[in-house]
Amino acid sequence: MVVKEYIESGILETYVMGAASEAEVKELLYLKSRYPEINLALKELEEDMERIAQNMAMIPPPAVWDRIDEEINDLIIAPDVAPEIFKKKTEPKTEKPGQQYIEVESESTHMKIHKNWRWVFAAVFVLGKIFLGFAIYFYLENRQAQERIQELKTEVRQLRK
Amino acid sequence: MNSRIQATTNTQNKLIPPRELYDDYGAMLLGYIVGVVNDRHVAGQYLVEIFKDLSNGLSVNQEKGSSVFVQLQLLARKKLEPFFETAKNCSTTDFVYDAQSKNRSIGLMTPDQQTVFCGMHYHGKSVNILALELNKSGDEIRKILKESFTIIRNSNGR
Repeated sequence: MVVKEYIESGILETYVMGAASEAEVKELLYLKSRYPEINLALKELEEDMERIAQNMAMIPPPAVWDRIDEEINDLIIAPDVAPEIFKKKTEPKTEKPGQQYIEVESESTHMKIHKNWRWVFAAVFVLGKIFLGFAIYFYLENRQAQERIQELKTEVRQLRK
Repeated sequence: MNSRIQATTNTQNKLIPPRELYDDYGAMLLGYIVGVVNDRHVAGQYLVEIFKDLSNGLSVNQEKGSSVFVQLQLLARKKLEPFFETAKNCSTTDFVYDAQSKNRSIGLMTPDQQTVFCGMHYHGKSVNILALELNKSGDEIRKILKESFTIIRNSNGR
């Protein structure tokens, strides 16, 4: 009895006309699978819709299929694999608006400098060698002079005696 | 044509080639589209668009067991939304409902039945909109629609 009332309510007609709400469609699909009477009534309505369309049918000009065929052949078939999605890596920012943090220490243990600095390092190395040479020379000169002074002092003391 | 390009429009989830769909339902769809857009050239363009969408992987097989034509017609309705406002009104003199007319069933309907049936079929109106327009409840609109289907069925000798 409830099934008959449902069929008589006109919901099936609104469904085939595409005017049923989502809730009505869900309910109808559920009831259709459960009650063969509803399924049969729906099939009859779909046949009615086809009959209306057959009465109003117009044979398309041959050029219409040629255009469809042309459009289909122009379609590019996408591969079955899912397309790779590239995303920019972003880390969550915690600073407040208006604040900006600067990274002061790099995690890397190496540093990069400009190639021009190699001439500066070479000059420092060469000057270092020259200064070392001078230092040794003056050290030896100074020691020789000290020894000479000691000898002269000894000679003066012997002359006084 | 590539065998992978096939429409998924079938009650048994079997793929039907677009050519087969076109041969079976192209004329019926074109008749419906012309009824909405009132222009054969524009209707032909919409027919091309619908079959292009079907070939491009659009599935209209949303509910198992639904008629292929009804699904195609629903797809066409979505595409034709811009024309719903300008479609011809069934209750005016735009249509001729004599015995030779293709849509003589509509001529047998009362003005309210014509408004409801054509409002949904050619103007894509919902039950609520028609209920407001005719100052009736949703249940009454559904009853009127059911009556118009009975008229169509009887006029076709069933």
